[in-house]
Amino acid sequence: MGIRDKGKLCITGAIIGAAAVVLTLLGNPGNMGFCIACFIRDTAGALHLHTAPIVEYARPEIIGIILGAFAISAVRGDFRPRGGSSPVLRFIIGFIVMIGALVFLGCPLRMVLRLGGGDLNALVGLLGFIAGIGIGCIFLNNGFSLGKAGRQSGLEGAAFPSSAVLLFVLFLAFPSLFLFSESGPGSMHAPVAAALGAGLAVGVAAERTRLCMAGGIRDIFLVRDFTLISGFAAIFAASLIGNIAAGSFRIGFADQPISHPMHLWNFLGMLAVGLGSVMLGGCPLRQLILAAEGSSDSAMAVLGMMAGAAAAHNFSLASSAGTGPGINGKIAVVAGIIILLAAAAGVTYRERRKA
Amino acid sequence: MLDPADIKVATFHSHYGALMFHKRMGGDSVIRPVPRSLSSSCGSAVFFTSAFNPSLADENTEAVYVKDGDGWREIWRK
Repeated sequence: MGIRDKGKLCITGAIIGAAAVVLTLLGNPGNMGFCIACFIRDTAGALHLHTAPIVEYARPEIIGIILGAFAISAVRGDFRPRGGSSPVLRFIIGFIVMIGALVFLGCPLRMVLRLGGGDLNALVGLLGFIAGIGIGCIFLNNGFSLGKAGRQSGLEGAAFPSSAVLLFVLFLAFPSLFLFSESGPGSMHAPVAAALGAGLAVGVAAERTRLCMAGGIRDIFLVRDFTLISGFAAIFAASLIGNIAAGSFRIGFADQPISHPMHLWNFLGMLAVGLGSVMLGGCPLRQLILAAEGSSDSAMAVLGMMAGAAAAHNFSLASSAGTGPGINGKIAVVAGIIILLAAAAGVTYRERRKA
Repeated sequence: MLDPADIKVATFHSHYGALMFHKRMGGDSVIRPVPRSLSSSCGSAVFFTSAFNPSLADENTEAVYVKDGDGWREIWRK
């Protein structure tokens, strides 16, 4: 991993940060040019999986990321159908990661974009994210592994990206099948072509560079390598510059777009996301990319996130902008962290006994 | 500092596998992320310059490569 890799990651980060600001100017919610968790949640709503009327829209960005990563991985020989590495555990971890993200109100990518917009609540989230990754690294250093993935059929590997294609065709041909928010964040979106194009570009760039929000911090903890974190830094720099140029930079804790100032819950929500992401081997964006490359394990994690998003809104676990989580969300995020810790400890103990 | 002319890299199924291999190899090795040209995954790899002895591998070891020009040539696979 050298200067060339860092350069490519910086370019990828700059593309993502700039695209996020442009998508916001074109209609996406504030500091939400991209948010993997929020957009999976919106897509779950569009598919009638939950009934929160303000967060329903089949986000073309998600479909674009999957298709971009799938296409470039097929062209460059990275498409390798594989799976069988603790799929049910991955589903559950993905579920909990989504609960944590929706208590914080954003995935790690949106956390960086929120920082670039001046939202200091995201700084609290970043501290929780780092703490979660640090805990995850302790387990990795002591033997944690979800097990080897084995080869799968081409059909198995292609099932996830093919589903994204089918979803997009249905979205264009039969929009009446889907729910569309008439108010709230789900009603705010960039034109379909711009959103899809931005998603495709991010999918291609993230696949080639292995960009991962959790991986950058994990590599610093585990092997003192600063390559992946350069993409994280570039996203922040590009969104900061873009927001200042667009006049949308406003520093502070209060009245930030789609956020809340409940520090403890911002911290714990992102702690769950950081720990879960290390256990899965990557952040929600990275799970999308790996699923598009043929990993049915990562596809299970994405499906777990989608189920988690549906549960978050059906059982009032997600935070409300401005006021934060209710009692259900607070219990869910603490229970989620306990489950992650128990699963990580159990798996680590089993692996150490095998060794 | 490893001699780039004679460098080898071992890849693994888990970070712990890399850590254990690194311990068995001793001082003549470093743990780094897997080179992008070898894998689209972002796991840990061990770079080393001494001769590769297959007895150092275990069930977590996936493959070993040697530097070959600008790329890598596989010399061992589990």
